[in-house]
Amino acid sequence: MKKKEIINMDELDPQFKYEIASQPGGEHILKCVQCATCSSGCPVASVSDKFNPRRIIRMAVLGLKDVVLKEDFVWYCAACYTCSERCPQDVRIPDLMAAIRNIAVKEGSIHPAYREQGRLIGELGRLYEVTEFENERREKLGLPKVKEKNREIAEIYGCTGVGKVVL
Amino acid sequence: MSKNEPRIGVYVCHCGLNIGAVVDVAAVATYAQTLPGVVVSRESTYTCSDNGQRSIQEDIETHNLNRVVVASCSPRMHGDTFMKTCETAGLNPYLFEMVNIREQCSWVHTDKEQATEKAKDLVRMAVAKVQLLEPLEKQKSAVNKAALVVGGGVAGIFSALYLANAGIKTYVVEKKPSIGGHMAQLDKTFPTLDCSLCILSPRMADVGKHENIELITYADIQDVSGYAGNFHVTVKSNPRYVIKENCRLCGVCAEKCPVSLPDEFNVGLKKRKAVYIPFPQAVPNYYLIDADHCLHLTKGGCMLCQKNCPNDAIDFDQTESVRELNVGAIIVATGFELYDATQKKEYGYGRYPNVITNMDFERWVSADGPTHGKVVRPSDGNPPQKIGFIQCVGSRDEQEGAGYCSRICCMATVKQATMLREKYPEAEIYVYYTDMRTPGKGFEEFYQRGREQGIVFIRGKPGEIEEDNNQNLIIVSEDTDSGLILRNTLDLVVLACGLRPPEALEELTQMLHLSRSPDGFIMEAHPKLRPAETSIPGVFLTGCVQFPKDIPDTVAQSGGAAAMAAALLTKDEIELEPVRATVDEELCIGCGLCEDNCDYGAIEVKRTEEGMKAQVIEVACQGCGVCAASCPQKAVTIRHFTDGQLLAQVTAALEPEVIL
Repeated sequence: MKKKEIINMDELDPQFKYEIASQPGGEHILKCVQCATCSSGCPVASVSDKFNPRRIIRMAVLGLKDVVLKEDFVWYCAACYTCSERCPQDVRIPDLMAAIRNIAVKEGSIHPAYREQGRLIGELGRLYEVTEFENERREKLGLPKVKEKNREIAEIYGCTGVGKVVL
Repeated sequence: MSKNEPRIGVYVCHCGLNIGAVVDVAAVATYAQTLPGVVVSRESTYTCSDNGQRSIQEDIETHNLNRVVVASCSPRMHGDTFMKTCETAGLNPYLFEMVNIREQCSWVHTDKEQATEKAKDLVRMAVAKVQLLEPLEKQKSAVNKAALVVGGGVAGIFSALYLANAGIKTYVVEKKPSIGGHMAQLDKTFPTLDCSLCILSPRMADVGKHENIELITYADIQDVSGYAGNFHVTVKSNPRYVIKENCRLCGVCAEKCPVSLPDEFNVGLKKRKAVYIPFPQAVPNYYLIDADHCLHLTKGGCMLCQKNCPNDAIDFDQTESVRELNVGAIIVATGFELYDATQKKEYGYGRYPNVITNMDFERWVSADGPTHGKVVRPSDGNPPQKIGFIQCVGSRDEQEGAGYCSRICCMATVKQATMLREKYPEAEIYVYYTDMRTPGKGFEEFYQRGREQGIVFIRGKPGEIEEDNNQNLIIVSEDTDSGLILRNTLDLVVLACGLRPPEALEELTQMLHLSRSPDGFIMEAHPKLRPAETSIPGVFLTGCVQFPKDIPDTVAQSGGAAAMAAALLTKDEIELEPVRATVDEELCIGCGLCEDNCDYGAIEVKRTEEGMKAQVIEVACQGCGVCAASCPQKAVTIRHFTDGQLLAQVTAALEPEVIL
């Protein structure tokens, strides 16, 4: 068995919990009592050991910022809100996961799948590419053509600075 | 009546399914019908119900019963109920015998057939005994309408005030020079963060000046004799060497006194002089001299206090005084002792300056404490930035002889962490706990507030504390919520010490003949239904001497204890149990074995015309039977438990065919 690593708390970030609590959606993180109602009903947790909402909250409260932001588990939440319906402390876990993802994005830790989606939206204005093939079919059905590339999104990316973060 | 032919009624109870599910109650009732002397035998779902009792009373009348046997629960549970049932129907209540087929049969057996046989045996034994019972009459004894409260902490203060406000003369005896107890040492109280002394000191003052209360501080109980309604208590008061009326609290004496000592009220964190006042709000509020350390009283000379006192308040001629109090009821409210944290060597209390106890914390954080309320690292006086609390120190710890939960430490820690958070908003605060227990009004909300303020609660008890070269404290522990092993370097660690029964309790329990639970606290008469009474009639209890509890629970129990005492003290006379020892003087040889063995001082050998003879002090006798068992002459008999009655029971148990 692998020897268990001892985590030096001086290397953790005790402010991380307050940073999350200051984000929209993260306000209730400190109410968590670790009852684990969230994990028991989570459809993602039932198929993946990597995603355990209770444990993610615990690591965040302890200040394991690097692990929480760099590992990809916070991106696994399907936002089904089952946990939110049941949480006795009103921690609002899907909103909390979104708050943590927002911090992750700011710090440049984006899951590759989401980065790719961001790129597509920026470039095309939508999540998939429209080619001549689709437009010909639309014409046959009596529908108007759509633009193959929507430059408006790229402009929004530019104005808001989202492009710099995502791309 | 005993010469009459016995006409016995037997009532076998189902107690719902408590008995009925294991014992074949109908079979036992049918069997009882066959026993000699039994006129009527019935089964009943609940014999203790109105219906059940009425059926006994009707049978007494219609069948002219002169003996009754009820086979049901324990006599402790319903013995009194059925004795009253008999009495109401005109039958002497001591012609009743109870058989316990629940606690001693159905609850402890699973084999139905054998349990039923055992129930039959028990009933047969009772029928054998009940035939030989004699009617007994209760004696009456006058009640001394005064009360004694032992201990002047919050429990004693409130019981005394409740009694005094009800018009009852109440003595309060406190060992220390002031009342107030541990609560006076606390800075704030959970979960409201009320200032502890602000809410307690007005009540302390009330005790000091109440017309119905006589306060005796700096005093010890030396002896207790007597019984409910009529206790005699010997109290020794220690001299204070200060005349109360003359002392103006100017403090010149303490200024001049050359002797510096650890201040007990501030758990040794401050110094006091040999002439001192325990704390500013002390009641009674005047100085005293610590005779063990005063230069004049130990070696002679000095007398600087006396020379400098502007009001001639110092009186070195005072001596201890002993007086006897006559009271009808006693409330024991002697509180607790904090667990001695030096016993838990792994945590280094006493060796590492920056490891403190929860009571130390209370004094550090108090305005009257060593730093006027500033919590600092004792080693260097710097404000701490990383603080840890360790829960369950000396509680839930069989190795430390305390398997129980001390109940108050979780909330005390949440309170202390919250106070630290207010003083040091940037500090990191960690609480290492086993289970957080917050059952009380507003408690869980207070804990939640603590979490929301960023206090980090780590489930996992540290095994040890290490100290680095900077006198920082290193704790390695598991966070069981994440499964991670954490190494934390802290500036200050607070040990949440548990509550213990006081060392001096042993002497008092012996004087009062009280029982103690395995945890060392005083045993209550019933854990649920008689929590403020002891097994000794007329002796009540309240506060942490019964078990650790918080202030609201203590005050509530004090109300209960006072109500129980008042119920006794407002009677003009009480009935005394007639089940007591009697001596056959013709058989007695005056050997004195009975006197040596009696715990209650209730039997004495005295010179009579016939020589040395044992005599029973009826009112003090508890009917325990030790004298009868130890008498080599069989001269002592316990009424209702005579040798003849007991042997009839034994014979019925061993030789069923003899009786049938």
